[in-house]
Amino acid sequence: MSDPLLSVENLHTQFRTPEGPVNAVNGATFTVEAGEIVGLVGESGSGKSVTARSIMGLESPGEIVEGDIVFDSVDLTEAPEATRRRARGTSMSMVFQDPNTSLNPVFDVGEQIAESLKIHESPDSQSLLDYLHVPLVSDRREWQEHRKRAIELMEQVGIADADDRVGHYPHEFSGGMRQRAMLAIALAAQPELLIADEPTTALDTTTQARILDRIRDLRDAFDTAVLLITHDLGVVAETCDRVVVLYGGEVMESGPVERVLSDPQHPYTQGLLDCLPRRSDRGSPLPAIEGSVLDSGNSTPGCPFASRCEYATEACRVSDPPTIRPERSRRVVCGELDTVRQDAESERNAAQPRVDGGDRSIERASQERHEADVQTSGTIGKDGTGRASGWENPESRSDDTTVESETPLLEIDGVSKTFDVTGSRLERVFGQRQLLGAVDEISFRIDAGETVGLVGESGSGKSTLASVIAGLESPTEGEVRFDGATVGTVEERTPEQLSEFGFVFQNPTESLNPRMTVRETLAEPLRERNWETEQQDRRIAELLELVGLSSKHAARRPHELSGGQLQRVAIARAIALEPSVVILDEPVSALDVSIQAKILNLLLELQERLGLTYLVISHDLEVVHHIADRVLVMYLGKVMERGPANALFESPAHPYTEALFEAIPTLEDDGTAQPLSGAIPSPVDPPDGCVFHTRCPMAEEQCRREEPSFETIAGSHSRCHFAEDVTEEPAEPTIEPDNP
Amino acid sequence: MSYVLYRLATAVVVLFGVSLVTFGFVHATPGDPAETILIEQTGQQPSSEAVEEFREAEGMNDPVHHQYVDWVTGAVHGDLGQSYFSDAEVSSLILDDLYNTLELAVASILVALVIAVPTGIASAIHQGQPIDVTSQIGALIGVSMPNFWLGYLLIIVFALNLNMFPVAGSGGLEHLILPAIALGTGMAAIVTRLVRTSMLEVIDQEYIDTARSKGLKERIVVYKHALRNALIPVVTVVGLQLGFVLNGAVVIEIVFQRPGLGNLLVDAIFARNYPVVQGVVLVAAVTFVVSNLLVDLSYRYLDPRIKLGESQQ
Repeated sequence: MSDPLLSVENLHTQFRTPEGPVNAVNGATFTVEAGEIVGLVGESGSGKSVTARSIMGLESPGEIVEGDIVFDSVDLTEAPEATRRRARGTSMSMVFQDPNTSLNPVFDVGEQIAESLKIHESPDSQSLLDYLHVPLVSDRREWQEHRKRAIELMEQVGIADADDRVGHYPHEFSGGMRQRAMLAIALAAQPELLIADEPTTALDTTTQARILDRIRDLRDAFDTAVLLITHDLGVVAETCDRVVVLYGGEVMESGPVERVLSDPQHPYTQGLLDCLPRRSDRGSPLPAIEGSVLDSGNSTPGCPFASRCEYATEACRVSDPPTIRPERSRRVVCGELDTVRQDAESERNAAQPRVDGGDRSIERASQERHEADVQTSGTIGKDGTGRASGWENPESRSDDTTVESETPLLEIDGVSKTFDVTGSRLERVFGQRQLLGAVDEISFRIDAGETVGLVGESGSGKSTLASVIAGLESPTEGEVRFDGATVGTVEERTPEQLSEFGFVFQNPTESLNPRMTVRETLAEPLRERNWETEQQDRRIAELLELVGLSSKHAARRPHELSGGQLQRVAIARAIALEPSVVILDEPVSALDVSIQAKILNLLLELQERLGLTYLVISHDLEVVHHIADRVLVMYLGKVMERGPANALFESPAHPYTEALFEAIPTLEDDGTAQPLSGAIPSPVDPPDGCVFHTRCPMAEEQCRREEPSFETIAGSHSRCHFAEDVTEEPAEPTIEPDNP
Repeated sequence: MSYVLYRLATAVVVLFGVSLVTFGFVHATPGDPAETILIEQTGQQPSSEAVEEFREAEGMNDPVHHQYVDWVTGAVHGDLGQSYFSDAEVSSLILDDLYNTLELAVASILVALVIAVPTGIASAIHQGQPIDVTSQIGALIGVSMPNFWLGYLLIIVFALNLNMFPVAGSGGLEHLILPAIALGTGMAAIVTRLVRTSMLEVIDQEYIDTARSKGLKERIVVYKHALRNALIPVVTVVGLQLGFVLNGAVVIEIVFQRPGLGNLLVDAIFARNYPVVQGVVLVAAVTFVVSNLLVDLSYRYLDPRIKLGESQQ
């Protein structure tokens, strides 16, 4: 067998911190073959990104202190900087996580791609004046050639109108288009290895599906090896050939994707798989991995996962676990593998009668084991399961028609919100206004104690609608009624009305004031309602307990807390004044899967204990499916489909809902689903007729002319002319060219 | 384009305000300017007929708003009136000296940038190392040193002792160097720190890693990808500093006995030569407004994200 393209051997990358050196990568060993897509998975802090950066030679301020990175038979750890730089320019490229920050805002996209092409052509003769395009010194003809090639590359990665777009700046691109541009920059070097660090985490599912498609296509076309870093196992299942599971900077398990995901051997891999919402029943608590990623991957011996592992023995803590090869091309680093297997075996036998289809029995068995554990030991179990049983009859819960007589807790009545985006002052003076309709005549109701989910792609108007409901924006038309009374904006609401609403934002690091301690953050709403200091202290202690934090967290500031803890604080703040409605805007999308599971469990538990009503906004359908009773699917400011979660998820009655499902990467997928083509049209100039017709696989002449009204199909309401056809035959998605 | 028109329109409003204030201050000064001027001209107490004659000749007996309208109408046509002491046109007096002052201002800004940009970059790249510490201390000294004191120091060392440069006056480059250094040093200190901070922030951005991941040489990463972004806040400050440079030029011109607007203004104030005072202040204001407009327009080149005059959502 020939040498692998990339071989990482016992890699240690160290960071100096005030508390002493920390090994972010601590002995990672794996290989990537030419033309292979390898997934590198693990929670935040497991060392994935640092591993990738070490391979690229971008580990600074960290330092590679031990181990080898052999690429193309050259050990990069011993190579001089010039060699590493040449490798970056000619044979390996990297795509970063956030396309909003990874492109230089002051150069047009063409220039950024052309640069990459030029470096690839002559990596060693880079002159500053040439790159600055100083007249006479710079070879203009050559740059123009590269720019032409850049246009071809842009077309190749699926950027339409590349001729035109080549001169655009990053801020003129949408998130998905920016990531394509980034991909074009990476591909300009014609790399043998492409490292993609969470390339789709910042994008919504439909865009994600198309970017992953491109990466697969490129591998097929150029035999490029890809190291795909992700925390989403669905992405791994759909895209990768092999998977490497990283924890504490060490490889826990590696092997072919289908084997590792269907038969995970390492307790950590099992834990990661169990946390996924899609694997558990709706509304029931998700199994979560106890504890959190260690702050310091220190260099003491022992398995890094031992402190969180239910199988850990004394031996695991003091000595390095052995590497076991259960089958060819698989490696598991675990000292108690026999116990883990026996456990799985006995549960498989016990669970056998209930399981249909043999190959997934292990997963289900292990999931049940976790659930059992949670029920006996966790604080979540009792409440959560009690609730879950009540949820098994969705018919008994609210359907739009059955509860029409009572006053709903919250009623959204014909709400529209338009923004004035008129370009220049002159146009404004002359009355040539451009209006952006973010939300278009939306009506629905939320009853006390239920959870309504709001889903749709970025730009569908979900967050604007939530802002209107919370009173942060005033509706252009229509009104929001709470308990029968019209509520306006925050300024117009009475203190009592204000305290009835809680709001949890997507990113807790941005929604919490970095200068305030947890206590101050939680005391703020209380002080606003003139609570006595003593009462405040009691309430803060109570809140911390409710969200699963301890009193020692009260004195900390946001930078001293982890992402999951921060979101708990944000939730505690939202419920501080005992609101009846909590609006959750993407509450878990900034979090790791294991933490996501814990936060979802917490939300369900709080709802049960406090009788909260939730409005959950998310682009993650699995999350919404997990906690919502009813779901609204939004597109271009309009509701496309609404109905009970079960009905809507089992048989979507709108092509858009169906397309959203298609886009979700799942463990069972093999990457054949066709993602939704095109991007959301501009809300300034929405399409006539059905707003979805430009991207709809079923669209016909009627859709271009007439706007459909709601059809009731199997309990759901669908705004589609062909709603019945959608539910009857699972539509064959047509293949369309990318056309944003 | 509509943005430029808009900015020009606001500039006119600002200048109108400046003209009102200038005119108002001069006319609110206690005492009869005619009498003061005649005393200065002749060295003795003038007769009341002489005062009245002078007032009539200079149009001081007209109602104040007529005087203002006359002056503004003249100014718009490039006529700023005549000096009380000679027949020279105020506008030609100013034009003669404006060149000298602008020369000094531009030279000192150049001195500041030539010192500040490389030092700031070096400081940022070698954060915490000796070169950074040295430049930080240098910046502290530079910002604390009064410019007139530095001016005298430079004269003593380089003109009197070393005989490298002339002590005073104006003329070729050799007359410009010491005043420009005296005036530019303080600004260099401020800009150095700004470049350093701005650069440190930019170097941490992910697009710098993208540039490195392409295999670009570090020099190009720093001077092309980082610098262009780091300069955006620097341009704002340098543009605003132009006002302070004009201010400082007044002092430095006296220290170095350079002809210029500063000397012209100070002389005019002492002599109650009001048309000149009004003219100089107006010209200084125009310079300031125009330079700020240029700074704002240069953003469009430096930072394509800034859409001038278009409403931000």
